[in-house]
Amino acid sequence: MTTGQSNPPTEPLDRDHHQKLYVQLYEALKRKIETGEWAVGSQIPTEGGLCEMFNVSRATVRAAMQDLARQGYLTRRQGKGTFVQRRTASEGLPVHTSFQELMLEDAAKCAVTLLARTVMMPVDGLDAELGIAPDRHVIYIRRLWAMANEPVIQQEAYIPYQACPALLEAEISGEPLVSILERKHGIRITRVRTRLDAVPAGPADRKAMKVHEGSPLLVLLQHFYSGDTAVAYARSIKPARKQSLLLDFERESA
Amino acid sequence: MSDTKVVKDLMIGIFDYPHVPYWFSISQAIKIVRVSFLDTNKYPEPLAILVFDQKYHLLGTLTLRDILRGLEPKFLKATVGGAHIVEGDQTELALIWDSLFDIKAKEMAERPVSEIMIPAKHFVEPHDPITKAAYLMLQHDLVLLPVLEEKRKFVGLVRMIEIFDALSNAILKE
Repeated sequence: MTTGQSNPPTEPLDRDHHQKLYVQLYEALKRKIETGEWAVGSQIPTEGGLCEMFNVSRATVRAAMQDLARQGYLTRRQGKGTFVQRRTASEGLPVHTSFQELMLEDAAKCAVTLLARTVMMPVDGLDAELGIAPDRHVIYIRRLWAMANEPVIQQEAYIPYQACPALLEAEISGEPLVSILERKHGIRITRVRTRLDAVPAGPADRKAMKVHEGSPLLVLLQHFYSGDTAVAYARSIKPARKQSLLLDFERESA
Repeated sequence: MSDTKVVKDLMIGIFDYPHVPYWFSISQAIKIVRVSFLDTNKYPEPLAILVFDQKYHLLGTLTLRDILRGLEPKFLKATVGGAHIVEGDQTELALIWDSLFDIKAKEMAERPVSEIMIPAKHFVEPHDPITKAAYLMLQHDLVLLPVLEEKRKFVGLVRMIEIFDALSNAILKE
């Protein structure tokens, strides 16, 4: 089946929406695939056709298609075009990565304190982590999860101010960062890169977590992306008292 | 002044200036001055950094002068009862500072900016006359004056250059 040869209707995106156009386009195309409007094995419209259909530039179409290919929705065949493919577990397998799920077994029993929400400049390599110029402002949020007055997790999150200015005044309490960005601010997170390290506590972490210097800490570093744009970077720490990590991967049936 | 300009007519946005929380070190502030101004050849008047608390309330300002003062060794700061006094020419002492600079200044630069900032104590509101802003800046030797809405929300800054521009226009007007 070929879906790209007919004269497509225009499906304009919302240019007033704060979400980037290619993220909106990514979502629109993904919907077509997931609802079966574009069936597995079918050829999708050409880049030019999609430009016309959604009234966007070729660069926007390419960015959305690259993300869909990366997520396993599309495959490119040299000289033939781009096709919808059946998604299988592969590199880039989607995994739930909110830090509560990875590090906080019983979030409901924890009291959450907002320790800081302010604005800073991205010094000491933070600009590289966020992929922004070093003279751009960054929102800094530090929250502490505690149980019976004992610190369980501290998370420091850094969000480029331009990505979400409303975050400075929004109600955030104990909600996961992904949920805050997606549900409250409409920023679709398409990828989370996570790294988990076990390290000895340094002076600042020791004080925050009430542990001895050199005590083992689990450090979770996460980069949150919307399309190719980094929209947040977070560092969460937890004393490594007795720890287990469960990763549950599910392969979609062929 | 018959031409009634008010503060909001000449205030600039707060994001025109770099922000730091009070716990940032002087050396981090120096890096910010470099990347925000020197490396980009941007020289707004004044070159300054805004210092905030953990709730994003303005605590103070930091100019290049404040940063350099923060690196000055104690022996150059003659004080009586906490007040700075100048006892004649200190140039010879400054030569000693030169010989110690590499070690001592790096040590001093690890202190938090809260120790060297100029606290923000004076404010204007958007509808205040600019003469009030001029008065406060002259009276308290300020380079930047924060503008607060309803005495709470930090919405902008007033600089001497815009105040001078507005007042000088009134003087030169025929």
